[in-house]
Amino acid sequence: MRRREFALLMGPSLLVMLGLLVVPLVRTIQWSFQKVEYGSPGDFIGLSNYSQALSDPRLGRAVLFTLLLTVIVTATILVLGYLIATGMNGLGKLRPYILGAMLVAYVLPNIVGAVSFSWLFDQNFGGAVNYVIQALTGQNILWFTETWPNRIMVMAHTVWHLLPFSMLMILAGLQGVPKELREAAIIDGASGRKTHFYVIIPTIRGILGFVCLITIMDVLRTFDNLIPLSPQADAIGNESIMLYVFDTAFRDGSAQLGLGSAINVLAILLILVCLFPFIRGLLKEAKAKA
Amino acid sequence: MRFHKHLRTGAAALAVVASLAGVTACGAGSRSGAQDATAVACDYTMPTADTTVNVLAYNSSAIDPFTNTMVKSCTREKVTLKHDPIDFGGQVTKTTATLAGGSGSYDILETYGFVVPGFAAKGNIEPLDDYVAKYADKYKLNALSKQMRSSMSYDGKLYGLPMQAQMYVLAYRKDVFDSLGLKPPTTFAEMIDAAKAIQAKGEIKYPIALPLNATADITTNYQAAMNSNGKDFLDSSGKPQFASDESRKALEGMKSLLPYMDPQVTTFDQPKVQQQMFNGTAAMAIMFSGRMNDLTLPANTKLADKFAFAAPPAVEGSAPYLYSRLSVDGWSIPKNTKLDKDLLFQMMAASVSEDASKASVPAAYPAREGMVSDDSSKYAAAANATIGKSMPTPGSPSAAPVTNAIRPIVVQVITGQLDIEAGMQQMQSIAEKTIAGS
Repeated sequence: MRRREFALLMGPSLLVMLGLLVVPLVRTIQWSFQKVEYGSPGDFIGLSNYSQALSDPRLGRAVLFTLLLTVIVTATILVLGYLIATGMNGLGKLRPYILGAMLVAYVLPNIVGAVSFSWLFDQNFGGAVNYVIQALTGQNILWFTETWPNRIMVMAHTVWHLLPFSMLMILAGLQGVPKELREAAIIDGASGRKTHFYVIIPTIRGILGFVCLITIMDVLRTFDNLIPLSPQADAIGNESIMLYVFDTAFRDGSAQLGLGSAINVLAILLILVCLFPFIRGLLKEAKAKA
Repeated sequence: MRFHKHLRTGAAALAVVASLAGVTACGAGSRSGAQDATAVACDYTMPTADTTVNVLAYNSSAIDPFTNTMVKSCTREKVTLKHDPIDFGGQVTKTTATLAGGSGSYDILETYGFVVPGFAAKGNIEPLDDYVAKYADKYKLNALSKQMRSSMSYDGKLYGLPMQAQMYVLAYRKDVFDSLGLKPPTTFAEMIDAAKAIQAKGEIKYPIALPLNATADITTNYQAAMNSNGKDFLDSSGKPQFASDESRKALEGMKSLLPYMDPQVTTFDQPKVQQQMFNGTAAMAIMFSGRMNDLTLPANTKLADKFAFAAPPAVEGSAPYLYSRLSVDGWSIPKNTKLDKDLLFQMMAASVSEDASKASVPAAYPAREGMVSDDSSKYAAAANATIGKSMPTPGSPSAAPVTNAIRPIVVQVITGQLDIEAGMQQMQSIAEKTIAGS
């Protein structure tokens, strides 16, 4: 009976996962060894797609930019998320309202948020940030065509979009820290800073690991926000791996599905490598708790 | 417990915001076939079974009148036409996907002269000559421009029923030009002289606006500059022309305008160029004619009555053509549609009928001759002056893949990351490889 219930409950999810995850993954791996266009069965060409992808300097630039974005955004989100969650934890009745307002950035479709965000830096559409910077420094920053200003803008948008979710998770973790632990730390004479570093953070390290995992996964898949934020991403070295895949496989009627699939497989391997320490840590923790 | 309470409140706020966002998104694009679309006769033989006709056409003020007319006029009894809003990039991707394989998702496709040869050479779209012959009288199809029909043809056969064309038009601030005693420029050199005079006046820092976004925009402009000098990316035999003198002059001409344009011009698409004109931060812009109507609407800008229009300049005084591209849009029938192609053709023909074409002016420049006189709109005379002086370009199945392949190099040349000579050689080599591999 329990087996039947299990099968009934899990069956639909497994079917969806099979259809939407396993089949596309298998097809992607298969296509990565083929020259394939839409609607055609594809011809086996061995490792040609991989050698073409790996010899393209554009892939190297895309990997470097994506990793840089991931490291900086994840670190910023962890620090800011922890600080804001700590402040939020001390709030009273205002907390749900501020929480709700902050989550707007997260629930907005990424492309919509990115377009609005880009207008802050675009003089054609107001460019509020430009206006302030020009008033203060007299400088006109080329946010869309200079590499580093553009990177800063993309990073700022990614943090703005992902921070609310991370902050919410950390806040949940902070709510779960036993009061007795904090009181014991105070009685033992620990300063506020030491309480955070030696009591609270170790207690919620599981949550922090989870936030890292989710953030890394999200940032490694950066794609649609670059379309309004970095219109000439490739030319200034700010193209993400996923944008490169889209450009190769789909954009402007391109039909290099084999090459696009090979880049995708390489991207999946990279994501697994980046996530390995976190997945291992989470599994260890789960085992210990069991 | 407290956290759960707060979480519930937060989640409720989230749900409200998400619902609002959803409602807004739903309102942002609805199935077209607008109520105010022109109704025309669409007299096909009613099929015996319920039939849904899926139409793929990007939304723009120039295309919408034809799409909406088709959907409104041909939907009746057992036949329903469906058209979902989509942008140009989305259309390009979906067209490639739907034409592949034995069955597709769409039955009528919006196509344009640039891609027709590629689809036709692969046998993806249906030749229309027999249908044109059959229905020439009923829908007065002989009045469709020969030049535009030729743009939608490949290997002597018509593959797209032309609906409308776009060509480059120069929009300029008449008040600024008049105050400085300037005339609309007829060459790039005159354009630079005008820009210098406007800059010297001190009100407009970057007088020239061109859509040089690092997408299809930048290659279209490069092609327009080459066309002005009488060459296209590929010659009539399909050989790349990137290492030619005309290519060099085109790149030099484009670069010569850069000091008078916004330094971020390689991120500006046509809507952004329109915005520059709306805001008064540019005094002259060259865009496709389909974008010009927006400049004349007071709802868009306080400067609407200050814009005037002219044919675009030539790159050089001795150039045989203007700095322009003639882009013809039309309707095609995918080979893999399961529906009756005769029925589909009549729907397409109805949408380009005399009444439908008349109603599309001034937003569009219809393929039907005699629809646009010089006083049809503020920019009609400029469009009429341009169309005869735009280079007729040879259609090649390799044009689209070659154009996609050379784009990063064009961007590097225009942004100064690569010098012109090296860029020309690289583009020539890339184009040859692309043609060999396709």
